[in-house]
Amino acid sequence: MADGILLERAGIPAVSLCTDAFKITAEAMANQMGFPGYQYVAVPHPVASRTEKEIDEMARDALPNVIRVLSAGMTYQEVRPS
Amino acid sequence: MTDIDAAEARRAIEHYYEQGWTDGLPVVPVTESYLADFLATTGRDPDEVLIPMPHLNKNLTVRLAAINAALAGCLPEYFPVVLAGWDAFLADGMVTRSIWQSTTGTAPFMVVYGPIRQRIGLNSRGNVWGSGFRANATIGRAIRLGAINGLGLKPQVFDQATQGTPAKYSCCIAENEEDSPWPSLAADAGIGPDDSAVTATVIRSVLHIEARHTTIPEQLAAEFADSLCRTGALVRPRASGYVVLNPEHARIFDKHGWSKADVKAAIAEQGWRSYRDLARTGKEAIAGGTGWRLPANHPDAAPQETPDDPHTPVQLIGSPDAVHIVVAGAPNAGVSSIVETFGPFDRAPAIAKVEEK
Repeated sequence: MADGILLERAGIPAVSLCTDAFKITAEAMANQMGFPGYQYVAVPHPVASRTEKEIDEMARDALPNVIRVLSAGMTYQEVRPS
Repeated sequence: MTDIDAAEARRAIEHYYEQGWTDGLPVVPVTESYLADFLATTGRDPDEVLIPMPHLNKNLTVRLAAINAALAGCLPEYFPVVLAGWDAFLADGMVTRSIWQSTTGTAPFMVVYGPIRQRIGLNSRGNVWGSGFRANATIGRAIRLGAINGLGLKPQVFDQATQGTPAKYSCCIAENEEDSPWPSLAADAGIGPDDSAVTATVIRSVLHIEARHTTIPEQLAAEFADSLCRTGALVRPRASGYVVLNPEHARIFDKHGWSKADVKAAIAEQGWRSYRDLARTGKEAIAGGTGWRLPANHPDAAPQETPDDPHTPVQLIGSPDAVHIVVAGAPNAGVSSIVETFGPFDRAPAIAKVEEK
């Protein structure tokens, strides 16, 4: 999440991905980085114990959301950390 | 007690709960004047950063460390030990690598050495893992509260521990130098007898070792090696940990002429499991990228040869310096413990001197 925000700040379009088990932490990190409401893509948990085929399917399912976030630009007003 | 309004004290304690500034247990209210008593024990600048955490926009300063030591129930004279603890955690490097955000859920672990143990009443003898001793309980807790309040590592938010460990409440022991046949771990690190010091790292668990049955040093060494190399603790290729010997076990080794280095070497030598043991739990191979253990047929597994004989030993303790020996507890039974760490795998633990003003 922090990396995605730092890349956006550097002018490089980025999409942060995390599994839904980590949504609370992801959103806390966005707030901590001064970017509440930062758009990211949550995928189903877990990742580590899935087969390669299942991971491919997850990636395919996530792709429309990734494109949506990428093409939305900075949709929320960014607040720099004080 | 007659001049204290108990209801007022309770209201203060509840205020800290409402702010989310506790580990679940009540904390001691801290005023500016009480904070000043802590800061007066050190010559260090209150704004000095002890632990930088740039990705969270947090810095644990001397002042924040002092506030949390006071909240934890420390007396001001304990604060130099807390500071040395943070210095050792910085040198150890795991905390600044975000280990306390990890799902593993490690606890801060400190061992204190030298004359400050007696001066502040740190327990190194019976019931050393607790509870019942203020200095141990509150110094360990000062680190944990510093993580929660100072670094913002709140459970279920930035602290993503899957289960955590009871050691997270507090985990600080002292070496029982008086009942040990050997120089302390601090002395091994070159700390003089008039100085005090703290070693620190993060731990996953404290394992009980029941070994009242033998006085044969080889058997004792095998017992510790077996627990250090349990497959459930293996994430990376190698194993490491503290062996906290009670004085009785230490004396058995000493009686047979074994130095501490001999004990470390013997445990390291027996620190292996058979290929079959590892394969049975699917930990016989190493991932190419992360270096984590996984089954040989996993797509991430680095290529390796399968031994013809399944009993082939796979060395898990790669060096005697992956075994960190401390003597603690009462000399009253053959009970010791293993502390499961993430290293160091080939050097002594990080250590910091206690600087008293």
